[in-house]
Amino acid sequence: MHGRAVVVGVGESTYYKHGGSPDTEFQLACTAIRNAAKDAGLELRQLDGLVSYMDYRNSPLRIAAALGFEELRWSATPWAGGGNNSSAAIQFADAAVSGGYAHYVVAFRALAQGQFQRLGSGSGLLAGGAPEGLSWGLPYGLLTPAQECALQTKRWMHDHGVSQEALASISLACYANAQRNPRAVRHGKPLTRAAYHASRWIVEPFHLYDCCMENDGAAALIVTTPDRAKDLPGKAVPILATAQGLGPDIGINAFQPRWFSNMYYENVGRTLWQRAGVRPTDVDVLQMYENFTGPVLMALCEMGFCKPEEVEAFVGGGALEGPDARLPFNTSGGNIAEAYIHGLEMVVEAVRQVRGESTCQARNVELSLAVGGPGYAPGSAVLFGAAS
Amino acid sequence: MSRYLGDDWILPTLTPHNTPFFTAGTLQIQFCEECGHAQHPPDDVCYACQCTRLVFKATPGSGRVESAAVVHHPVHPVLKDRVPYVIAIVSVDGAPGCSVQGNVVGCPPEAVKIGQRVRVVFEEATDPASGTKLRIPQWELAPGA
Repeated sequence: MHGRAVVVGVGESTYYKHGGSPDTEFQLACTAIRNAAKDAGLELRQLDGLVSYMDYRNSPLRIAAALGFEELRWSATPWAGGGNNSSAAIQFADAAVSGGYAHYVVAFRALAQGQFQRLGSGSGLLAGGAPEGLSWGLPYGLLTPAQECALQTKRWMHDHGVSQEALASISLACYANAQRNPRAVRHGKPLTRAAYHASRWIVEPFHLYDCCMENDGAAALIVTTPDRAKDLPGKAVPILATAQGLGPDIGINAFQPRWFSNMYYENVGRTLWQRAGVRPTDVDVLQMYENFTGPVLMALCEMGFCKPEEVEAFVGGGALEGPDARLPFNTSGGNIAEAYIHGLEMVVEAVRQVRGESTCQARNVELSLAVGGPGYAPGSAVLFGAAS
Repeated sequence: MSRYLGDDWILPTLTPHNTPFFTAGTLQIQFCEECGHAQHPPDDVCYACQCTRLVFKATPGSGRVESAAVVHHPVHPVLKDRVPYVIAIVSVDGAPGCSVQGNVVGCPPEAVKIGQRVRVVFEEATDPASGTKLRIPQWELAPGA
């Protein structure tokens, strides 16, 4: 088990509330990439690859020009969905450098939801009639990821006897960990179980606090080969294994009996564990993308961390909270309480855990896992190993 | 019948794939003429045998609630007076492996439960582009459900 590619730099913008950024989305993207290059000890002109996902606004050509890349030798974006691809972006960067197509590849994601429309709100879907892919649900008022994931979660809770308390435990862990993280948008805003239950319903079984936030910000990571990393000042974090999963196309296919109810992470887990030669119990710290709490529980089970009938105990009783948790989880606060940078900020946190730089630092981290968004295929995951 | 979410709520844009479903007045599902496979949503190729001889057929119009969720947050101003409403996934009798999305009408949203039997009813509307009469499948609880 060894990495053919390593992360040598991470960078972020300030994370803002939705609409709170004084900078444009493109400026946020440039800031995160500049910070990542500085962290790596690289000049901007040395960067030669760009990967993102669901980013139709910040073209790699525009970024390469604005940041003064000497040349752009690799650009890529995964198909379909959204935050499900947060870890796939690292896989593409790994493929580029380990295949020799580029030297220093940036994986980035920028979101200014104030400048542009809110992700997941459905607001962009409503001008004119429902296009074919959406026509199966939109006339019924079924159009948002929250609603789609709620239908999946309701059936799964019904089949396995999972209670609302398990959903609450995910949100409470994110909020508890965010209280240690001054970068977190919800820092200084602790959440109690009572406040969770008292919060308004968005769509049952999701309360407000079961849903990720909406934010402005950007994050970036720089990937290169272990050989090139030797010339750089910082710690190189090995990418031990990555995986993308199969699954149905986004939308109505997801509700067909063949797939229902499912978060599309069984084969992501199977592939990842096989490639890395490890088991879920070997993972020292986990960042798992929370679009909503229910899908996290389902993906945990599908990846083999526990069985659905065990999930209440697995996540309950503070088992995920703090650096000494049984499984340190979403240690920066995640999408729910740090910031929603479409999950890439959680991949940054997974790297930070290996470097020993988290505000909720787990002990003796040898395996640090970042899992992309559940509920939309292809799912993705990246496993980082001990720094060298 | 009038629309569950009101006459101002968005309508489907008709395409060759969805016109039978939204206009026939029976619950139409796509079947493969070669192997008999049923699939939803419709596509250009049979997902079981990959042939392209696909037809739409009426199904009996009954089904089972596979999941249901009550929506409280209106995602659009038009829906402000419509929440809470219920969204549901219904498996379609006579079309193995096929489920459709919809609302369960004629009962309080919280009355809809997984496993209940439902039967199709149709909302009427007019496609603004073509003037075509739409008959949008919806569901109501079957007697005794």
